[in-house]
Amino acid sequence: MPMYNLYMGCSVPANYPNYEAAVMKVGEALGMEFEYMTDVACCGSPNLRSIDYFGWLVVNGRTLAIAEKNGHDIVTPCNGCFGSLKDVQHHLKHDEKDRSRVNKELKKMGLEFRGTVKVRHVIEALYTDIGIEEIQRKITRPLDGVGISIHYGCHLLRPDDVTEFKPEMLDALVRATGAKVVEYPLWKQCCGATVLPVNEPLAIRLARDKIRSMKEAGAEFATVVCPACGNQLDLQQVGLKDSYGEVYDLPVLLYPQILALALGINEDAIGLHMNRVPADSILPHLKG
Amino acid sequence: MTEAKQIAGPPATLVEPIDMSQLDSKFRDEIRSMPNGEELAACFACSTCTAACPIANQWKYKPHQLIRMILLGMRSEVLNSKEIWECLTCFQCQERCPQKVRITDILFDCKNLAADEGKVPEKILALAKELIDKGQLYVVTADWEREDLGLQPTVPGLSTDGIKQILRETRTGKLAGGGT
Repeated sequence: MPMYNLYMGCSVPANYPNYEAAVMKVGEALGMEFEYMTDVACCGSPNLRSIDYFGWLVVNGRTLAIAEKNGHDIVTPCNGCFGSLKDVQHHLKHDEKDRSRVNKELKKMGLEFRGTVKVRHVIEALYTDIGIEEIQRKITRPLDGVGISIHYGCHLLRPDDVTEFKPEMLDALVRATGAKVVEYPLWKQCCGATVLPVNEPLAIRLARDKIRSMKEAGAEFATVVCPACGNQLDLQQVGLKDSYGEVYDLPVLLYPQILALALGINEDAIGLHMNRVPADSILPHLKG
Repeated sequence: MTEAKQIAGPPATLVEPIDMSQLDSKFRDEIRSMPNGEELAACFACSTCTAACPIANQWKYKPHQLIRMILLGMRSEVLNSKEIWECLTCFQCQERCPQKVRITDILFDCKNLAADEGKVPEKILALAKELIDKGQLYVVTADWEREDLGLQPTVPGLSTDGIKQILRETRTGKLAGGGT
């Protein structure tokens, strides 16, 4: 049974306990042992990287060093945490000067960064460690080919020499549930979350463009793997009625919610009622 | 043969003329010494980055122009621009650059230089204060929602002491006014 250091970050537990619950349930069903990391909190997000690069290195270098104590890989369900941890690890592995500066700080806490554990998104661990075949074998209530558009999220995909994630992994995972992947022109575009603090109308426009692009391509549902992207595509969608006079009614599910349903897990256990655009319309698409 | 007309005033140009005396020739080296700034000078201004940027249409300075401005030494214009803070950090420019210039990373470097001079947008500064005060950007409030889903009301293992302690000693602490 693969064991992981689970790094939850701050946004998932506070804003998306339904995502957290779905991750835990899926892990349980597929034999992934998630252990919450201790003595950690927030990654600081790209905002911390913008204003305090060294502080960002130390905060995330510390998280990596804590994981190294038991040697298990870090998994996280948040693209922001994934991007921060992955980028810091990449930088510290390649920049000797910064590594020794960071380690000087970590030494005061009795820690050292050596770069011995991997940082992984929960999605990638599902794809690589469990695998599509095994997932399909465990599915009891496959979807009926309903069309789902995927928003991967920028910090999951790019920069690809740092993230090492391939969009095909999530495509395969969505297809494994029996759903059809609906491609759409703006698939690479940002959800707009990062620009919210400095230009809210722009952030809303970006979210709206994405939702519209998915809808026009024929998606009946959308899926995301990040709480910030979830905010933009699900929660913001509710506000589009006022800001744009447009109603899209495109339910947005966190991918582990979709997988959990296909694995026969009850919708209450994964908080489906908490999704902002009502998402229970996915239930009639489950077979079996 | 018609006589060439004498045109009064400065010549018509596509962009505002640059005042060379205002340039900071060390700016490019400053950026090149920062994380992932090494490839800066490889830019040949093809503007593929601008074509990739989903919001460049509403920017005065487009991504390829910002890179050119760094190379020219327009330090003050770049560090005071709203563009560096509006960057989505989506890395699409960086992904497509044929010269491997790490444009998004370089804009992060620019923001760090601006922050070092205390130039941080108000709402980003508020986030820095949150990190210093609470050690995280989001705090669990609706713990009953967690319990309903079979999760522990507070996140297992959560401790904000480490991050608060680190950031009080670094630039975040100085910016938030709670530092040493």
